[in-house]
Amino acid sequence: MLDDIITKRKKDFAPGVQTELRAQINKTRGVSLLSGSLTTNVRSEVSGVSARVYKNGVYGFSSTAEYDDDAVAAVLAAATENAVFMDKRVAKGAPSLPPVGTGQIMREITNSDPAQKTYIDFAKAIDAYIEQNCPGLSGRGVSVRADSMEKLICVSEGHDGHIIMPRSYVYLRLTADSPSGNPVELFVPVGGLGTFDTVFSDPALLFPKVDELYEKLMQKREGVYPDAGEKTCIISGELTGMLAHEAVGHTVEADLVLGGSVAAHNLGKTVASPLVTMIDYAHTCLGEPTPLPIYIDDEGTPAKDAVLIQDGVLTGYMNSRQTAEQFGMEPTGNARAYLFSDEPLIRMRNTAIVPGTSKLEDMIASVEDGYYFIDTNNGQADTTGEFMFGVCMGYEIKNGKLGRALLDTTISGVAFDMLKTVDMVGDTISWSSSGFCGKKQPMPVGLGGPAIRCKITVGGR
Amino acid sequence: MMNFEKLTGEVIEKLRAAGADQACCTASTSATREFNVDGGKFSLMRTLFDNSLSITGISGGKKGSVGINRFDDAAVEQAVADCMASANSAAPDDAWQFAPDGQAHTFTQGVLEADVDRLFDRTAELMQQIGEKFPKIMVEQLIVSHVRSHSVYRNTNGALYTKDAGYYNVELMFSGHEGEAASSFFGTGGITDNLDCPFMKLGSIEKDLADVEKQIHTKSVKDKFTGVMLLTPGCLGSFLGDIADNFASDGPVLEGTSIWKDKLGQQVADERITVSFAPHAKEMVCGQSFTSEGFLAEDFDFIREGKLESFLTSLYVSNKTGVPRAKNSGSSMIVQPGEQSVEEIIASIDRGIIVGRFSGGQPSTNGDFSGVAKNSFLIENGKITDAVSETMISGNLADMLQNVAAISKETVVDGYSVLPYAAFGGITVSGK
Repeated sequence: MLDDIITKRKKDFAPGVQTELRAQINKTRGVSLLSGSLTTNVRSEVSGVSARVYKNGVYGFSSTAEYDDDAVAAVLAAATENAVFMDKRVAKGAPSLPPVGTGQIMREITNSDPAQKTYIDFAKAIDAYIEQNCPGLSGRGVSVRADSMEKLICVSEGHDGHIIMPRSYVYLRLTADSPSGNPVELFVPVGGLGTFDTVFSDPALLFPKVDELYEKLMQKREGVYPDAGEKTCIISGELTGMLAHEAVGHTVEADLVLGGSVAAHNLGKTVASPLVTMIDYAHTCLGEPTPLPIYIDDEGTPAKDAVLIQDGVLTGYMNSRQTAEQFGMEPTGNARAYLFSDEPLIRMRNTAIVPGTSKLEDMIASVEDGYYFIDTNNGQADTTGEFMFGVCMGYEIKNGKLGRALLDTTISGVAFDMLKTVDMVGDTISWSSSGFCGKKQPMPVGLGGPAIRCKITVGGR
Repeated sequence: MMNFEKLTGEVIEKLRAAGADQACCTASTSATREFNVDGGKFSLMRTLFDNSLSITGISGGKKGSVGINRFDDAAVEQAVADCMASANSAAPDDAWQFAPDGQAHTFTQGVLEADVDRLFDRTAELMQQIGEKFPKIMVEQLIVSHVRSHSVYRNTNGALYTKDAGYYNVELMFSGHEGEAASSFFGTGGITDNLDCPFMKLGSIEKDLADVEKQIHTKSVKDKFTGVMLLTPGCLGSFLGDIADNFASDGPVLEGTSIWKDKLGQQVADERITVSFAPHAKEMVCGQSFTSEGFLAEDFDFIREGKLESFLTSLYVSNKTGVPRAKNSGSSMIVQPGEQSVEEIIASIDRGIIVGRFSGGQPSTNGDFSGVAKNSFLIENGKITDAVSETMISGNLADMLQNVAAISKETVVDGYSVLPYAAFGGITVSGK
């Protein structure tokens, strides 16, 4: 746990500027078994303190890996000096940041730190199960990763905070050869918020996941390539979440709006079917905790939900305090930094399309000739909203029934066009949170949604 | 500055005392000075000071590793204890080894002292030149920095490497706009050891800005055809990176899933293809000096005149599989140029596509790839016609290397790589 040596330093904040001071520790524990060989066995810990100072529309920032009174004084001085340098050279003359109230937000949850043996033994138990129960594989991978981020936040104007966010995952990968000798692969992450010992009590509880993955892989090795072209498809909640994050979410981050994203011209306009509502949830969704709850951001703004699309209409952006001032919007706590040495950037938190009323089986039954795309291994999108997702598991749908499994393919489209074709929205939300969003810095994020029926371009082979 | 030679020596001794029969340790410190432009306007200046201590201990073939960013006694003691606890929990594997017969070497690379005022001026100059020459370009983000590092690597086989390095880095993200029409975003940049030239002349920055300004109004390909894909240098680097990962890196070689696993010394590409990893080439800025296994980094050919000359394997995977290890970690790529100009290559293509960026899923283990051609132009009857959007390309990485149409004589040098344009036949291009 971080000792609080920064709150008392508020008296040292320079006058006439707005200051953030943050101490932080990121911990990572990782183990990887590659076809039984232990190829990764690492623990890492990165800590330090940083300061950011706002002056007339520009920021100065400084960080150091030390964490003592001298280090705090040094980063405060250097950040202030950098802000003064920028103000002198750039002279923006912008106003102060908008107020976000004052207070204190503390979210300290259990942060145990299991020994490395715990991770190794867990991975070995799963690897042994795969070796014994999954014949015919040409490769297998079991990775265990736990990370945590603890922050002490102290600001001149806003809320101070102390938060800890641990998360833990097991990643399973199975590879087999198709009848023609080509390797086919499937991958699944399992886990979520919490330290490893609270998320995973017994490796045997994951064996059904292994069985399910193996069964899908055996179907996939006999799979076919889908036909290329635009098709009516059902995409799973996992893919809907990827769409919400990659293809829409990034375009409505206010810094990317200022950088020229498609959302710049679409605020207040219809960008999706009226069945589509999309929200960047802070910490609670439909009465349940989100996968990675955020209660305060690194600018001292209390976290609230950001409604991005309401009934098909683009209603808002995600903001920092600075962009909220520029757009006349309310900041909702999206400014987050990954390491102590990173400045806060506008980041998504738990971005999802809100569930509707359709049942998955009715959605599949409604498709005469199309595809059900289930799992993705990759997703990229453009600030124009043009997206491409790799699909690593799916099935044909013929006359309302699932058919043959599919080999790897891609789906693509333009988000604000494709979302207008959505005519059924499932009633169950699926979340994923095992990856990192990349944008100058990595960041853990949650993404989710229900299955949706839409028209989408299929890559075929 | 802390004496890292002493620190790493002490860490190695602590690891030995805790039971390690092999060990290595890297201590480093870095200072970064950075300017950011966001949405076309200066936004931020950063000064960062960071530390790093990476240690690995091996006891009876059991290996553990720990990384921290502190050097105080308590943190180092804890890291050594954690490292050996990790190692003792691992399964023994005699393939974990360090380079034998290590020696002491000192390396100094690049520009160690930052000229912060001049760095700001070059950044402001780039923004001004973009505004004047490319008025339709909107800069989403520009990050320029000077990074200086000092590091010491030591292992139990006698290697003691001291390195001081410093370089300027430019990363530019932008798109083209006209009214509500916009191009795809594009990222470019490079590293350099001096501020003598305007950043506009670094790597392919000027050409990339000019290309993206022509990609604001796009058309989708209306049909599906098999044609030629002309990759820009940056995009060629990405494809070759995927090829190296898929067919020659540690994972697929160790698991035996690489389709090139039995191809060492054999023809895997057209004889015009020569790809090297050459951190010592004069064009590289602050290239790799030594590997984490304790070997001095040497230049090597990955593919020479179409033959697979080396995998990109570590000593560990070499010991596990018997394939020779790579002579560096796979950085600083050089692709040998060809005879034709880019203009001549375009003129020789009946139907094809110039691909500036590929947005695709991870290629399959067998090399199949499929994705969207971004920042791309259609070629018809030897001429560039339209910029394209919503256009998919697909093919196979291994087949592609056997189906080379041409390689340009022009190359782009960006401090990380030296790459030409390259054209490959047999690629499927399909519209919406």
